[in-house]
Amino acid sequence: MSTTTAPNAIEFSAPSPLRRWLRELPLLPVLILLPFALMATFAPFIAPYDPTEPVPGAKVFAPPFWMVDGNTATLLGTDFQSRDLLSRLIYGARVSLIVGLMGTVVAGSLGTVLGILSGYIGGWVDQLIMRVTDAWLALPALVFAIFLATVVGPNMWNIVIILGLVYWTRYARVIRGEVLSLREREFVQLAEIAGASRLRVIVRHILPNVLNTAMVLASLTIGVVIIAEASLSFLGVGVPPPEPAWGLMLSEARSTLMAGKWWLTVFPGACILLVVLATQLLGDWLRVRLDPQQRNL
Amino acid sequence: MGGKHRRSLSSIGLTRRDLLVGSAAMAAQGPAPFMTPAAAAAANGTMTLAWHTAMAPRWLDPQEHDGTATPDNFLTALHDALIKNSGTTLYDHPALAERYEFAQDGKSATFWLREGVQFHNGEPVTADDVKFSYESYRGALASAFKAKTESVDVVDKRTVRFRFKEPFLDFLLLIGSGNVTGAGWVVPAKYYQQVGPDGFKRKPIGAGPYKLAYVEAGVKLQLEAFEQYYKPVHIKQFTIVSVPEAATRLAMLERGEADIIYGLPGELIDRVKQNPKLMLAPVLSGSFWLELVGFQDPSSPFHDKRVRQAISLAIDRKAINEAESGGLGKVSGNWINDDVQYGLTWPELEFNLEKARALMKEAGHANGFAVNWLTPLAPFYSRGERVVAQLQAIGIRAKLQVMERGIFLQRTQSGKQQWPGVQIIMHGARIGGTWVNWYESFFKCGGFNSADRVCVPELDAKLDRYKTSTDASERKLLAEEVQRAILDNYYLVPVFRHAFMNAIGPRIAAQKWQDVFPTITTGYAYPWEDIKLKG
Amino acid sequence: MLQFIIRRTCYSIITLLILSLTIFAVVRFTGDPATLMAEPGARAEDLARVRAQWGLDRSWPVQYYQFVQNILSGNLGISFNYRMPVSELYFERLPNSLQLALAATLLSFLIGIPAGLLSAVRVDGIWDQTGKVVALLGLSIPGFWLGLLLILVFSVYLEWLPTGGKGDWRNLLMPALALGWYFAASLLRLTRSSMLEVMRSEYIKLARLKGLPGYVVIAKHGFKNALVPVLTLAGVNLVVMVNAAVIIEVVFAWPGIGRLLFEGIFQRDFPLVQGVVVLAGVMIVFVNLLIDILYAYIDPRIRLMR
Repeated sequence: MSTTTAPNAIEFSAPSPLRRWLRELPLLPVLILLPFALMATFAPFIAPYDPTEPVPGAKVFAPPFWMVDGNTATLLGTDFQSRDLLSRLIYGARVSLIVGLMGTVVAGSLGTVLGILSGYIGGWVDQLIMRVTDAWLALPALVFAIFLATVVGPNMWNIVIILGLVYWTRYARVIRGEVLSLREREFVQLAEIAGASRLRVIVRHILPNVLNTAMVLASLTIGVVIIAEASLSFLGVGVPPPEPAWGLMLSEARSTLMAGKWWLTVFPGACILLVVLATQLLGDWLRVRLDPQQRNL
Repeated sequence: MGGKHRRSLSSIGLTRRDLLVGSAAMAAQGPAPFMTPAAAAAANGTMTLAWHTAMAPRWLDPQEHDGTATPDNFLTALHDALIKNSGTTLYDHPALAERYEFAQDGKSATFWLREGVQFHNGEPVTADDVKFSYESYRGALASAFKAKTESVDVVDKRTVRFRFKEPFLDFLLLIGSGNVTGAGWVVPAKYYQQVGPDGFKRKPIGAGPYKLAYVEAGVKLQLEAFEQYYKPVHIKQFTIVSVPEAATRLAMLERGEADIIYGLPGELIDRVKQNPKLMLAPVLSGSFWLELVGFQDPSSPFHDKRVRQAISLAIDRKAINEAESGGLGKVSGNWINDDVQYGLTWPELEFNLEKARALMKEAGHANGFAVNWLTPLAPFYSRGERVVAQLQAIGIRAKLQVMERGIFLQRTQSGKQQWPGVQIIMHGARIGGTWVNWYESFFKCGGFNSADRVCVPELDAKLDRYKTSTDASERKLLAEEVQRAILDNYYLVPVFRHAFMNAIGPRIAAQKWQDVFPTITTGYAYPWEDIKLKG
Repeated sequence: MLQFIIRRTCYSIITLLILSLTIFAVVRFTGDPATLMAEPGARAEDLARVRAQWGLDRSWPVQYYQFVQNILSGNLGISFNYRMPVSELYFERLPNSLQLALAATLLSFLIGIPAGLLSAVRVDGIWDQTGKVVALLGLSIPGFWLGLLLILVFSVYLEWLPTGGKGDWRNLLMPALALGWYFAASLLRLTRSSMLEVMRSEYIKLARLKGLPGYVVIAKHGFKNALVPVLTLAGVNLVVMVNAAVIIEVVFAWPGIGRLLFEGIFQRDFPLVQGVVVLAGVMIVFVNLLIDILYAYIDPRIRLMR
């Protein structure tokens, strides 16, 4: 083949400018997410105590150290079994982040694949996938997740799969739209004419261009998935006790609200809030970078 | 605040003579005064009870009594029995029956119904209803009653005689004790057969002090005083709401939306204590213990006695008592309450982590093992979680399973296949009468709540000897032998006897909490008709 | 228009079929449905009855047919715990959930739209900045945490409002707020951007040139056009609200569908759980269809869409 390939093809077929972005990451979301990510990764080294065992010698319902009756040994206080709150928050980050991340990955992969197939192949495949998407969107995500958890039983990896199965529809629709417009672009059509197989076209041309959108979507849904996991744990169909998960901690703290043990409610909730907020901001930033026209959405 | 007016049945030492004397004494009192319509008009006001778990409609039907304390809370409102437990009377408080007679040879019991007793639909309570109720009874102890009963004879409209195949000394005790059976509770034969068991549970009709106004499935039970009840019913409207959230229950009490609440968790006890308008009612009640499912199965880690003993040594009962009952419970050693006949008093069990770890190591579990689920009786999940945490100290890693009470009871009644894998069940129960009721419910081969999970034939054989024996000292000996065997071998691991933490609101007339919780065999606030409002 | 309705209805029916197939498949694939659908302690006759009712010993297509037939005739099984038909339980509690959802929507309209308008009109001012932060928070706060905080502040410390259960408007306020908060935040954003777009449009500039006073311009022209995307969001939000309602109902002990589902889980009442999920799906499809039709009625462009 001659060297005169269409200039557009090179520009758009190149991998996304990840390096460029890394240099210009937004400060706030990263400042928030990085500590949580570190907490989750290095939990056994950072956490002062075992999160499922009572702290020896600690009182039950000790408040944070700056309050009366507080103790610097248990910085953020203890719960109804004198377990250290800080340790539980740190280990809880694992559950939230792992489930959030992995759930989004599962949902994203499934949704992207189906979206591409739907958009590119078209025809009855498209119709079928779109109808299934409609159907699954009709099922309220949480309700469906609860249903699945009831049937297969709650444990962390089941929850990851369940959340993936519940949230893929968000991707499918959007990716499909992208693919539909991509399909008409010159470079794709050129590749098709050149005799490239469908699979090759998908992998080399469609997929890389769709990845940007997929990533934006991912950063937006990760917050939703984290809240969904927290909700499932709160309802008792997420990670079973005594393993710490932020939603579960909120659930256990419900009866202590009245007893004035505010730290058991405020801190886990604040963690969820911060992580979701950070992912939201990150997603917004990504979306703006990708397409300034969408700034106002 | 000592509840010192508790009498244990062991001090009674029931004999035939006592039973006869008792029935004669009751007859000497004469028939209870029939309530005139004028007196009935005095019922006014409302009272709300905030119940601490979800409500199962099954509990409104005495025919399917599950041999635990739970249904009695509801049955005592809607229904009535021939004789029942009430106040300090353990089993033979005359209710629908104004008197009874137990034959010298122990082979028959006759009951005379009160004049004018009616069901809520106006139909009179007749001997036919009693016969129907007894014969179609399907709940706890049904098979025991059926096996021993020769016939139920309707002598006349208000007299019924039970005849037994052989001397049935414990009949009265069983039929009248709280938390044991529903065979003595009378349902309207015609109505029950007309609507069927399911229809009955949705719209129950009984002869109790309150009749059903309406029910919102699982949420609320609205009851109204039954004007024609033979005793004065003081409060006109009685509402039972299901509020599984402890904090919400307390909030309702503080705001006056509820008048009596059950099941305060440990951390909220202080709040009630500090509020002068509320009264804490720490009712020493049921016992909690662990059943290590499948301990008789050689492949189970619980098969080794050392493991079971280690588990017992790892539990810090004092801490659980402090945290859950504000220290007002009892850290006794027996899973059977010692306030029942021949209930064995056992010294406090040891808490020794080192010894526990050593035993685990000896048994080959130096690194512990995993337990699929530890399931406590609802809503006592926090104490289940404490046990989970304590077991972790010796390497046993369990997960807590949350399961509502209704289904928990159903599953314990269904046997091994409902509890696959390695599981621990944390039972909680308050059973009345004698130690036999506890044993037959939770330990016997094919027992109502032990099903096929537990079966120690040697002990069952001793129980049979106990039952046929007529010698009090022999009975006592056998009773103690059986209980000792269970405890020495750690077949069941007792945790503690809790104080059921309840609270009373300002509208209820009460000098002390025992005024609202007068019945010593239960943690619930019946008899409902006796509760009064202030002013 | 009629063609649109027919097409959409057909789509809805297909959606419902897929929905039922999904639920059916999930249950059959993950274990023995007889165990799930029969009560513990069921004797042989009970198990046989369950098998007959759901056709569990027949081939899968036959089973599915039986399943759909049961649903269509309103027979979603009998709740183990309540001994009542599941559909009866569902419709008994539905009004409570609807009440909550409506109150939440109303509240979110009352909060979100004026706030969004204010932000747009005083763009980049204090209001706008605050609004942006509040909106962002609103989308990030888990509803149940907000609910717990509301209880802590208004019930426990201030003692102004009851903690839960059904009652009068005081019982409704906090759950409606917790439920509608997320929607209010989205509405705020949407109203703001919609308004901004409209305000910058030629149409409005013309109206201004004509000399119409500012607020008339906004009220008459800007607002009406900005409302259209709001309706779309409302439709989408319905699903979110049904979701979130489960949690809010549990936190506030509100006796609605969400709580019914939650109770069903811990009572291991499988027919109840399955029935609620099926009915929830059917409701959503139905309501979406209505919204689609309504939307098409308002905006003719939609009718021409596929």
